[in-house]
Parts: sequence; structure tokens; C-alpha cells
Amino acid sequence: MKRLAALAWLALVLLAGLYLAYRVQDGLTFRTDLLALLPREEQDPTLQRANEAVSRALGRRVVALVGDPSRERARAAALALSADLKVTGLVSSAGDEIDADRMKAMGSLYFPHRRGLLSAGDRTLLLAGRGEDIALRALSQAFGVFGMADANLLRNDPFLLLPSFFTGLPFPLSRLTPDDGLLTVVEDGTTWILVSAALAGEPFELDVQERVIGAFDASVERLRQTAPNLQVKRLGAVFFAQAGSQAALDESTWLSTLSLGGTVLLILLVFRRVGPLLHNLLALGVGLGVGLSGSLALFGELHVAALLFGTSLIGVAVDYSLHYSACLFDRTCATSRDRLAHVLPGITLGLVTTLIGYMALMLAPFPGLRQIAVFSILGLIAAFLTVVLWLPPLDHAAPLRHGHGMLAAAGHLWRFWEDARFRVPRVLLLLLLVVVGVVGLTRLHANDDVRRLQSLSPALVQEQEEIQRRIGATAASQFLLVRAADDEQALRRQEAIAATLDRLVGERAIAGYHMPAAFVPSAQRQAENRALLRDALESPWLASQRELLGLPPASPERDDPVPPLTLAAALGQGGVPFLGDLVLGSGLHVVALQGLARPDAVRAALAGVEGVRLVDPTADFSALLGKYRQRALLLIAASALLMVPALVWRYGWRGRCGPWCPPRWPWPWPLRWRRWRARASPSSTPWRWS
Amino acid sequence: MTRFIVVLLALLALAETAFAAPPEPATLGEGQVLRGRFVQERHLKGFQAPLKSEGHFTLVPGRGLLWRTDTPFAVTTVMSPSGIVQEVRGTETMRLPASKLPFLSRLYAMLGGALGGDLKALESMFAVVREADASGWRLVLTPLKADDPAMPIRSITLKGARLVEEVEIAKPDGDFDRLRFLDQDLTAGPPAAEEVQLLGSAGRS
Repeated sequence: MKRLAALAWLALVLLAGLYLAYRVQDGLTFRTDLLALLPREEQDPTLQRANEAVSRALGRRVVALVGDPSRERARAAALALSADLKVTGLVSSAGDEIDADRMKAMGSLYFPHRRGLLSAGDRTLLLAGRGEDIALRALSQAFGVFGMADANLLRNDPFLLLPSFFTGLPFPLSRLTPDDGLLTVVEDGTTWILVSAALAGEPFELDVQERVIGAFDASVERLRQTAPNLQVKRLGAVFFAQAGSQAALDESTWLSTLSLGGTVLLILLVFRRVGPLLHNLLALGVGLGVGLSGSLALFGELHVAALLFGTSLIGVAVDYSLHYSACLFDRTCATSRDRLAHVLPGITLGLVTTLIGYMALMLAPFPGLRQIAVFSILGLIAAFLTVVLWLPPLDHAAPLRHGHGMLAAAGHLWRFWEDARFRVPRVLLLLLLVVVGVVGLTRLHANDDVRRLQSLSPALVQEQEEIQRRIGATAASQFLLVRAADDEQALRRQEAIAATLDRLVGERAIAGYHMPAAFVPSAQRQAENRALLRDALESPWLASQRELLGLPPASPERDDPVPPLTLAAALGQGGVPFLGDLVLGSGLHVVALQGLARPDAVRAALAGVEGVRLVDPTADFSALLGKYRQRALLLIAASALLMVPALVWRYGWRGRCGPWCPPRWPWPWPLRWRRWRARASPSSTPWRWS
Repeated sequence: MTRFIVVLLALLALAETAFAAPPEPATLGEGQVLRGRFVQERHLKGFQAPLKSEGHFTLVPGRGLLWRTDTPFAVTTVMSPSGIVQEVRGTETMRLPASKLPFLSRLYAMLGGALGGDLKALESMFAVVREADASGWRLVLTPLKADDPAMPIRSITLKGARLVEEVEIAKPDGDFDRLRFLDQDLTAGPPAAEEVQLLGSAGRS
């Protein structure tokens, strides 16, 4: 019977192993997006998509500032660095270069629709009835010494409104100016040139990090040999990710070596044999493997958080085999059968109560907690079955004879809790613990800020600040998501909040913002602009303007029936920089925020605006962690209550207070199991294994 | 456009030295002020008549250039190391701080070089052809880099005797500007208080 069960279990484990091997060979990947951990009822696929798109665009951005006292050397170095990065094949141009071709493309896109396009400043002037200012400005440009208006433009746009619209377009990196094709800023005699690129791969892939940063460093190293004064500042998720993963890799290698080595050493020292070590590893390995294989089969994919938490909680499983091995010190248990019989009631009860706890976790609507629960439940059952079914046939050891000292020492500890002599100190100690606990609870405050979980490389943070100071504010990871039935509606919503955002800029809550509506006004706004142009500028001033410029009088039919510029057309031609990043889909637009200093002010100013929402991935995830914390505490309380029946059944009402504490945490386990074992001694146990 | 300004300023200064024809070259340096009148004609294709403006200018080496149009209406343009400002009837219509113009730092290198008779600054951007005879000289500049959006110029032609007298700037699409400088007066001594104030106005940000 036992043999059959053990073989059946072997077959199951092999099956799980095969499935796992199949999945691993298929290329096992884990979900890493934090939003997948959100409770299902709060998951918002649109928001998730927006978040992913924005963080992908931000995360792939690689920015470097190359500075040198010599303008020529700085320019040459920037071009060389850019070329060296492109050679890796992992980096493409960022798409925000403003070169001659792009200017031409934008010109031909906007020119036919110019009558519906007004810069914010011109619109304000016209609304205030100051059309003459615009007319004068155009004249001064036409007659002035720096005449940039060519004949064709002046003939078609005698008020030069289109150049004004162009200069009013919101381009990021406000402190940079194009100098001979390269974005440049001069500061204290140093010329800084911007090198901007986009990663073709994910910044969190180790391979991408190594190749891109390797090429970057090699290029800078080479450039420094010819230009010793060259300075290079870098900014981008890939640099932070590389520094972070390097640190994490170093730390985790060191810590896991230490803990694994320590555990192995402790087991070898205590048992002075290899057998118990192998048994423990077997139980743990089977537990982890079956847990992983089973939850992959159930969920299809696992979140990396479930894997991390699950594997640490499954450490509980190692106790089952340790309990079993500890019986080697018990001389009344001469055979493996005796040992199992000795621990079985204890570990069974332990398993049942732990399973109750994890099943309570499954009740939570958080997919992350569910995955952790399933992973742990399967792993624990597998470890338990391995101990019960496999260890006895594998274990042929005679009882150990060397443990007197250790057992006696442990016995001393235990005597403190049982001996009548220690009653007073025992009560005092318990009271002290209660006082410490209560005082601690009053001082306890939770901090769910996810940023506490990672430490950014201070050197890179400093470089980032230097870059931002020189080139102007860069995009924040927070953004406004505008949702509407269609693009037109979404553009109107942006136009409606533009005044609020301008006020926020004035209050320094944000440094700036980019909205699709600035590049392509809504059809409604374009119609308004045409009417405004006709009534406030052309009716009073067009005739005199054309006369001053020496143009023939305008034909009576001025307002040619040109359809408004559409977002689709602007996106289709691809000439407008940044616009593609801001439009996620029909009616789903992003308003990028620069230098967000006071998210609360922005949130408050936009509260109640329909279809507009501030998305702050970091804060959202921190709030999620807080929710998890609260829910987990509740579930722990609930699972503790659920365990009562099992414990009452085993120990009766009188003994229920002793073992009643949530058997979830691996650390106090050995102490607890000793207590259980003492009470569940073989002679009194009603369970016999046969 | 900014490149164009740089070129223009450099040319104005250049004329004083390197290409001043015999009998003797005047040296425009710190402590001197060049004042004069200008007539500018902007010939635009398809326009009935050229856009004509007249006014006067003041060049103060090391401080900047004042370009004051009187007709057809008053426009004041100030260029200084701190930036460029344009005013029409007391209303500011353009302000470009130097931080927005990396050229401005180069402008000073160019001006300095030009004042010292150093052609290298210009030769990095233009192919330069010189002609000279007894009556004066002619200088034709063509951009080294064609299709540069920062410099939509096909060629620049300068004529002069002792000082620059005429500049013609040809644009790629056939438009051209013709500038004539009249009544030029090179004096030693500091600029007038009003000129100093105007030159300073470009520095406000």
C-alpha cells in the first residue's frame, strides 16, 4: 500500500517535472507588470495599456549630454557616440530630431490648414481685439533686417500666423536650441550637445543592458583619448536598470550563497551526516518543482512577484523533513517507520492549518495573492507527501548518539516554560512582551511607498539632475490620460483643461505639458479659429496689410473650403515629433507632464473633470501595496479563526490556546512543532500510519 | 535666420579691415562707433514692388548693433551678446535671449576675428571669392553647405570702397534683398547714452 502510494507520487512528480521541462524549454517568462497584481475588479485594461505605452516610451529613451569647451570637439564627440550606439543595432534614433526634411514635412502638413491654426498667444491677442499687434509683427518681419518670410509665405499668410504657430508648438527640452542640426546648450563656456536615442529592446533585459552600455562606455572611453576635457552625462532607464540589476545580482548572489552555505553547514553540524541534508533538499526541490509546475498549469503564466513570495513561503515546507530528521535523535524511534509515526500528527496538523491559511488568501480578489496561495499550497502538499511517502523508504539510518548536549540545552529552554519554579518570571516575561508589543503597535506606521523598495544609484541620480538642469525639465513618469468617445472629443477635452494647466505652470506645480491638441486642434477649435481670424484680423486689417506689403487686394472669396486638419492625417504623415507617443488610440490620448513638482495640486485642479485623470504609476503601485497589506492582515486574522476547529479537534478546548497562532511564518516553526510533538506523543496519538 | 544675422554683422565689421581697398584700410575696434543710414529693398517674387525700408544703424564693436527702421514704420532691432530684441512702436514683437542662440557666442568669435582681419571664421561657412580694382572691391560668398535650413541663402555679394556700400543677399527661390549703406561715419569715443540703453535692453530676460 505504502509502496504503491510512493510510486504513484513518483509518477505524479515525474509528470510535473516533464510539464515544467516542457514549459522551460518553451521559454518560460514571467509577468512583470505591476498592474497585473491589481485586484480584478479594479483592473482597467485601457489604463493598463496607457501605462504600458507611456512607460515603454519613457523607459526606452536614452539621453546623453556631451560637453566640451570646444564646440567642434563636442559636436564631433556627440556624432561619434550616436554612431557607435547605432552600430549595436539595439538603438534607433529617438524620432525627435528636427532636421530639414522634418521641417519640410511639417510645413506641407500644416500649410493647407493654416487658417484654422492659431498659436495660443495669437489666439489670446485676437480674442482681446489686438489684431493690429499681429499685423505689425508680420510687417516688422517682412520689412525688418532679419526677414525670414519668403514671398510664397507672405502672399498666402500675410499675417505670418503659421510661423507663429510653429514657434508656439510645445517641444520638450526647452533650454536646447538647434545649432547646425544638433540640439545644443552653452553653459559657462562649455558646449553641451544632446545625444538622444531609443532602445529597440527592453531596458530591463540584461543582454540589452550589457550591449548598449558596453558600447556606450567603450565609445566614451575612446573619445576621451582625443578630447581629455570631454564630459558625458547620461540619463535613461537602461542605465538605472543596469546599475540596479548589477547591485541586485551581486547582493543576491552573496546572500543566497551565505544562507545556503549556512543552512547546509548547520544541518551537517547538527546531524553529522549527509542523509538528512539530502532528504531536506529532496523535499524542498519536489515542493518547489511541483508548486511551479502546478501553478503554471493552472494559471498559464505566473507573475514574478508570486514566484518570489511563493518560494520564500514555501521555505515552510523544509520544516516537514527537518521534523522528520530530528527524530533521529530520539532513541525510542529506532526505525524510519517509528520516526514517521512520531512526527506525522504534528506535521499533518501543521499542513492542515497552513493550508487553511493559504486557502483564505485565495479568497482575496488579488490575482497576485491567489498565485502565491496556489503556489504555496501545491508546494507544501508536495513537500509533505515527499516526507511521508519517500523519506521512510529512503532512510535506513540508526538513531543518532551524539546529540546529548544539544538536546539537553533545548530541554533547558523548554523547562523554563513548563517548570513550576519559573512561573513568576514566565508571567513577568509574558507581560513584558505584551507591553513591548502594545507600545510597538502604537508606534507602528505603514509606508507603502514602492520607491523604498529600490535604491537608485546616487551617481546616476546626480547625472540625471545635471542633465535636467541643463536641458530643461524632462518628461515625468506621471501623465494625464484623456479618454473620450473619439479623437475630436478627446481634443476638445484637452482644450478645455489647457487654461487649468497653464495656471498650474504659473503656480510651478508643473514645468510644462504636451498635448495632442497643441499639434492638432479639434475641428471645433479650428472652426472657431477661422471665424476669429476672419472677424478680428482680416476684416479690419487684411486690406491695409496687403497694401503695405505691396500685394494685390485679396479676392472676395477668402475662406476656402479646406477641411480641418485631422489627427489621423498628422499621425499618418509621421512628420510631427512626439505626437505618436501621445496618441494611444482613438479617443485615448496622453498629456505628458514635464517637471511635475506637485502631483496633489494637479490632481486637485483636475478633480471632477470628465474623462481626464492623472496617472501616477508609482503612487498607484504604492497604494496597491497598501491595499495588499490591509487585505493580508485581515486574511491572516480570518485564517487564524478558520484554524480553530482543526486545533480544537486535535487538542480539545483546554489545549486550544497553546498552539493557536498562525503557523505561517517559517521562523518560529521549530519551536511550535516541539510543543505539538510533546503533546502529540506517539503513545497518546490516535493516528497510526499503516 | 540667426546665422544670417551673424553673417551680416560679421560682414559689416569685415568691410572695415580686410577688404578695404587701397589707399588704406580702416581698423574698426573697441572704442569706435560706426553710424550710418541704410536702404533695404526686399525683392519678393510675385510682389508688385520691392518691400523698401529705410533707417539708420549703429555698430558698437563688442557691444552690438542697433538697426532702426524709420520708414515705412518704426522698427527697432537690437542685437547684443545677450540676445536679440525687436520693438515696433514701443511694443516688443520678438525677443531671443542668447541662451536660445548658441550662435551668439560664435558671433563674438567671428566679430573679433573679422575685426582683426581674420577671414577664417567666414571661410568655415562660405566659399569666398574676392575681386578688387582701383575703384573698390567685390566679395562673393556662397554657403559651403547647400540646403542648410539654418541658412536659406544662395549667395551674398558685397561691394565697397573703404567701407561696405552695398550687400545683396540672394535666396534659393529667387527672392533677394539689396542693402545700401549711406552716410557712414566712423567715430572714436563711446556710444551715446540712448544707444547704450538700447543695447542694454536686449540683455533683459
